[in-house]
Amino acid sequence: MPEKSAFSRVKLVRREGMPPPPTTPSSYVELGVASPFSFLRGASDANELVLTALGQGYDAIGIADRNTLSGVVRMHSACTAAGLRPLIGCRLDLQDAPSLLAYPCHREGYGRLSRLLSLGKMRADKGECELTLGDVAEHAEGIAFIAWPEENLDAFEAGLARLRTALPSLGHVAASWLYRGDDAARIERLDRIAKKQGCTILATNDVHYHAPDRRPLQDVVTCIREKVTIEAAGYLLNPNAERHLKAPEVMVHLFARWPHAISATRKFADSLHFSLDELRYEYPKETVPEGRTPQQYLEHLTWKGAAERWPDGVPDKVLKQLNYELPLIERLDFARYFLTVHDIVKFARELDPPILCQGRGSAANSAVCYCLGITAVDPATSDLLFERFISEERREPPDIDVDFEHERREEVIQHIYKKYGRDRAGIAATIIHYRPRSAIREVGKVMGLSEDVCGALASTIWGSMDPELEEERAKEAGLDLSDPHLKRTIRLAEQLIGMPRHLSQHVGGFILTERPLTETVPIGNGAMDDRTFIEWDKDDIEELGILKIDVLALGMLTCIRKCFDLIAEHHGERWELATVPQEVPEVYDMLCQGDSLGVFQVESRAQMNMLPRLRPRCFYDLVIEVAIVRPGPIQGDMVHPYLKRRSGKEPVTFPCPDPEHGPPDELERILGRTLGVPIFQEQAMKIALDAARFSSEEANQLRKAMATFRSRGNIESLQDKMVGRMVERGYDPDFAQRCFDQIKGFGEYGFPESHAASFAHLVYVSSWLRWKYPAAFACGLLNSQPMGFYAPAQIVRDAREHNVSVREVDVNCSDWDCTLEQGALRLGLRQIDGLQREAADRLVARRPYRSVEELRTRGGVPVHAIQRLAAADAFRSMGLDRRAALWDSRALKQAPDLPLFMYSEERDEGSEDQPATLPAMPLSEHVVNDYQTVRLSLKAHPMAFLREHYAGRKFVTADRLKTIRDGRRLSIAGLVLIRQRPGSAKGVVFITIEDETGVANLVIWPDVFGKQRKIVMGARLMAVHGIVQHDEDSDVIHVIAQRLEDHSHMLRHLSDETMPSTLSQSDAAGSWRAPAQRHPRDVEIIPKSRDFH
Amino acid sequence: MTRIASIWLPQLAIEHWAKTSDCAPEVPVVLTVEGTHGLLIHAVTPSAAERGARPGARLTDARALDPSLIAVPADVEGDAALVKRLARWAGRWSPLVEVDGDGLRLDVTGVAHLFGGEAGLVRDIRKRFAALGLTARVAIAPTAAAAWALSHFGGEELAPLHVSALRLDPDTVRTLERLGLKTIGALMDVPRLALARRFRGADSVVDALDRLSGRKPEPLTAAPADPPPRALIKLEEPATHPEAATQALERLVPMLVRELERRHLGARRLSLTGYRVDGSVAAAAVATAIPSREPRHLLRLLADKATALNPEFGFDAFALTAEWAEQLGAAQDSLVEEPSGERELARLVDRLTVKLGPGRVRRPQPHESHLPERASEWISAISSSPRFRGKVAREARRRGPSTSFAGPPPLQMQGRMRPQRLLDRPEAIDVIYATPEGMPRRFVWRRAVHDIARVEGPERIAPEWWRSPSSARLRDYYRVEDAEGRRYWIYREGLIGDGRGGLPNWFIHGLFG
Repeated sequence: MPEKSAFSRVKLVRREGMPPPPTTPSSYVELGVASPFSFLRGASDANELVLTALGQGYDAIGIADRNTLSGVVRMHSACTAAGLRPLIGCRLDLQDAPSLLAYPCHREGYGRLSRLLSLGKMRADKGECELTLGDVAEHAEGIAFIAWPEENLDAFEAGLARLRTALPSLGHVAASWLYRGDDAARIERLDRIAKKQGCTILATNDVHYHAPDRRPLQDVVTCIREKVTIEAAGYLLNPNAERHLKAPEVMVHLFARWPHAISATRKFADSLHFSLDELRYEYPKETVPEGRTPQQYLEHLTWKGAAERWPDGVPDKVLKQLNYELPLIERLDFARYFLTVHDIVKFARELDPPILCQGRGSAANSAVCYCLGITAVDPATSDLLFERFISEERREPPDIDVDFEHERREEVIQHIYKKYGRDRAGIAATIIHYRPRSAIREVGKVMGLSEDVCGALASTIWGSMDPELEEERAKEAGLDLSDPHLKRTIRLAEQLIGMPRHLSQHVGGFILTERPLTETVPIGNGAMDDRTFIEWDKDDIEELGILKIDVLALGMLTCIRKCFDLIAEHHGERWELATVPQEVPEVYDMLCQGDSLGVFQVESRAQMNMLPRLRPRCFYDLVIEVAIVRPGPIQGDMVHPYLKRRSGKEPVTFPCPDPEHGPPDELERILGRTLGVPIFQEQAMKIALDAARFSSEEANQLRKAMATFRSRGNIESLQDKMVGRMVERGYDPDFAQRCFDQIKGFGEYGFPESHAASFAHLVYVSSWLRWKYPAAFACGLLNSQPMGFYAPAQIVRDAREHNVSVREVDVNCSDWDCTLEQGALRLGLRQIDGLQREAADRLVARRPYRSVEELRTRGGVPVHAIQRLAAADAFRSMGLDRRAALWDSRALKQAPDLPLFMYSEERDEGSEDQPATLPAMPLSEHVVNDYQTVRLSLKAHPMAFLREHYAGRKFVTADRLKTIRDGRRLSIAGLVLIRQRPGSAKGVVFITIEDETGVANLVIWPDVFGKQRKIVMGARLMAVHGIVQHDEDSDVIHVIAQRLEDHSHMLRHLSDETMPSTLSQSDAAGSWRAPAQRHPRDVEIIPKSRDFH
Repeated sequence: MTRIASIWLPQLAIEHWAKTSDCAPEVPVVLTVEGTHGLLIHAVTPSAAERGARPGARLTDARALDPSLIAVPADVEGDAALVKRLARWAGRWSPLVEVDGDGLRLDVTGVAHLFGGEAGLVRDIRKRFAALGLTARVAIAPTAAAAWALSHFGGEELAPLHVSALRLDPDTVRTLERLGLKTIGALMDVPRLALARRFRGADSVVDALDRLSGRKPEPLTAAPADPPPRALIKLEEPATHPEAATQALERLVPMLVRELERRHLGARRLSLTGYRVDGSVAAAAVATAIPSREPRHLLRLLADKATALNPEFGFDAFALTAEWAEQLGAAQDSLVEEPSGERELARLVDRLTVKLGPGRVRRPQPHESHLPERASEWISAISSSPRFRGKVAREARRRGPSTSFAGPPPLQMQGRMRPQRLLDRPEAIDVIYATPEGMPRRFVWRRAVHDIARVEGPERIAPEWWRSPSSARLRDYYRVEDAEGRRYWIYREGLIGDGRGGLPNWFIHGLFG
């Protein structure tokens, strides 16, 4: 059986031991090659195919994926690295004629092929391509074709005649010896058919994989494609493993009777003169006005922007930097790129109302970008970003991502399409690969495992990185891993991981061109209307030196813009991202206390715990804060050393190489800013370059390996290389290993410094808003939901703790959005579950109302909406509580909204003479109902009603935790808000519970979790017996749980109704939803309420 | 006064499952149904309930509490069918039985005294359901609605019961709760008019209350019995002679055939039952390959079996039941009575099966496999649902033009010559051939030497890797013709140097006609 998985986006590089590049042309060239981009057909990736070809003595190899060019860039780069000549083509499966292999002869032919594919894709649904022979004939010039015979040769004979008529240049018919028994007769017949039409046969092995041992995987993907199990697949599978890449001499031997079929391949290959290197990227021209060069215009804009940013004169430091950056941009010819980004940002800024945006990425934190308004990180106050700019020697293209308000990004995207046209603007593709879970699920299904076993395999075996844990969990789930069938399944799934599954569109990576984009790369429809995307992903684009701009969405920007608007309206101050007062000490004071709920990036519990330890005092501290609490640095164990050094408990030292190997301050230059601890992605890369002496090619490989989600296989050789070389040069092996571990962690979760700086700016701005205008900040947060880490209930609670008075939703006072009322926060109608925006707008338009009835008669609000409003207790301004309002609203009749019916109010049941008396609703029930309808309650906290019960049992409240000495035992109870089991915490579970006085942070060690898993994962009201732990460096208090109790049943005392879950969206265990309908079965077990209300 | 009994089977799904599976009771099993967001738990075993699994929860949530839960798809249709059968069976207590969700309701007016009063009736019902392995909760009340409420919510009184005992939809129940009208008693205190104005149409609370009190009648209608086609004769005198059954059969078959004709059915399984005077029964059953209601055929199938029925003390009644019948329209093969191929074959199969036993008559069934010996399999000739292994693949083919590289996959392997006669077991032969992979020149089979005059091939068939051990070798099949013009199908197993054994061996696998 084959080795572990091979698919990975690793650039092929020449290594020792690899065969030398071929010097003589091979007698045979393989042209019928399918890569995994013939989705669920090809089973070997470009690197494997190319390495095999190299080993077999090929000098060139074709690629012909089905109706797509999406795999050609990988083939191109692998071939180039190995010294082979890639022949770029594709296979056209037509609607009305036999299939064709199409190989462009030159750039013009390539452009036509790309246009042809775009045509077919644009008229079909996502992922499909519909082409007819007529379409091909229109685009045939400059493309060499090979007819591909189908199973039925009689039909093919007729088809070939039609092909010849439509495509006079067609001269070849593919023939394969596939050990089908009748090969000789079949090829003879093909030869006759071809000759009759004036064609020659051309040998190909219809390559689906690089080596015979890939057959099982190919069979499996066939089954996935056809949605059958392997047992039932029957003749859908090929009978043997012959469709692999065969050496030229083997092919010559197989076609000994037809030598012309072999020589045809050579002649065909020699007639192709196209290489992807010919695709020259051209920037759109409209960003530069007539009569100026791009560089002139960029400099003009930059200096103009600088003058606006610093009306009192540009600081020397910035001046110096601008004078460094601008010539560099000129040398590298990147002016148009900056202008293109500037153009998009300008569009967003000049809209009415403007869309807030901010750039990030390696080039974004340049002084030029600040002057152009792309970023708001002031280069005058931060001196970190000098060398983060484009590296000249590596010639990496600049990278600027621009974040826009998430609610309005679509406007920007549509603007780009409109301005540059759909044929010149496209979104990059994202290649969706098989991930461990999807791989095991699909392979499991094919292998006939039940849905259940697949699920168990997926969740237990593949959930963690720790192999021991995996085995243990597998046992827990009752799986016998030694079972050969299961073993085979797992092995195949491992192979499948990383294989491309389909193309999807990138979240916002745009490429813009001057020439029609379709002549460079095929464009297809996206799943969303109004979206088109190209066939290549960002790595492909980068490989070819085509530049892209990321247009991304960020919820926090929406929130900040809403805050700015509210402040302008209520306080008369107009702020912008770049004008917010900088380095206000009180803002840092607030953050130092871990008081950061709702603040961008630093609001998670881990971040909140880190803040008091890190004690940020300046902007750069925030940059570090953003970057350090990430799985990468945590996995690399970089956090504690950094904290110790920062608090002065450990001296700041820099590991250095032996003197003979390099200067002692080698690392100081890289790590100086972060006290000798690598925190940012670039630092790790720089260490690899400087301390481990990686070549830029190797570093690039490392970077790519980091970027792929699944880099186990490749990263090991890199690990040996990096750690080995560092140790060789005199570094401490321990330190070297840590550096590498960190790089590994960065794979998915690392932060480059430039990103961190841009994010840190938003951290600062949102903190400042929170500190200066807590009501507006809470209001903005609530109006931007869903976003961030916390549910509205916690946001409101936090606002109230900061002396913001919060008012409830009311039909006569609330708008759709939350609003500010004389400094108080008025909750908006949007908080009410299930209320339609349209109904709310009608309601707001005809205010005020004096009775429930009026909402319908005068306001025209639909009855079901009125009933929702009543259930949400929104009629208090008319003196009606929930129950009364609900009673009145039920009596309304849903009449068509027509004048004729508006006044037909006479009751068909007659008038009510005796009013019904309803029992008063207890407060606790109101609270439960508030949670059910608006997910929060301003009246009381549910725990308040149970306090008497818990106080009697010596439970403490959350606010008293700080008065309890470290190490003391205690009991505490509260509603579960958040459950987290981070991958980096080795099985520790963190739970946040809340009572009427505040929140408490629980830590549950794996042994307790193992014993009380059911409670940990299931309880909604939890009682905890444990030990208080004060962190010595900060005010953070944890409760280390020793024993847990599930007290969810206590919630029944509040009301017969179910208390909805209070878990926030980020709960790692998945939202715990109460069943919509209570089953009669459950009723009996509800204890009668006794002593609590 | 009307009395209605409501029987609720709260554990129906899980108890039904437990009966049909041989799972140990302590295994934590949950039965699941498909929900819009993944699997939902439908029913749980007690040990699964202990581990936190509850009906209505999502399977993933329950698994988060305890990963060791075993999920089994629930057989909702099977459960419903069981309730239907139980409804027929419950005819023992009352002629008026209705299926009511996962329970039954019976009109037991004037019945209770037969069982020693209502308490006795309830006990009897519980006991008999318990004997079937089903938990039953029973209540008897003057109206169906009240009986339902009491059986589901327990107790003697209606007033303290929660409003959900009125079987209102969940939204209405929630509104009532929010209004503070939580019990039936509280609801009764509200003026009718006020309630009528606020709860209209489908969620009319007043209607529900009226059904409860009997103000709005809710009569039971007997389940439309759909008994299997059946013919019955009663004898005036017990018949003890052995031919009695055969003679009865001759009268029963035409009766049954008329019934089948009327209902456009054809019998697939028939049983002849003789009721003896002492209350015991004797039965014989036969099955047919295709639905039939042809008197002569059915008679012939049953005749032998009928003779074998032992009258002992004498039969006093015979019944012929078509236990399983399928739709069969009126059909005529030809104008004259001419044997038709398919039907004649089916009849032959039926007769052979009756004579030889169902396991002994088999027919070949194509199976999609490249391995010749697996390309067909044998199934029981009267098997009711032909197990068709290639079905799924065929489905895939039917979905539209296949997107396979090699064009649409063939239904049969086109152009691939298979011998008319395949040896049950390939026989080893000695072959002279040009190593490593050259054509065979001569072979020796059963001591006879065959010089090969013509040869075509090879057709390479690799082992089915998902079934065979990894040491299995591929086969290269050749069609060969010897000097006398006889054609054989031979193969070489393995390649030199494939690392799966020594030198390749040759076998003969088939003969061409």
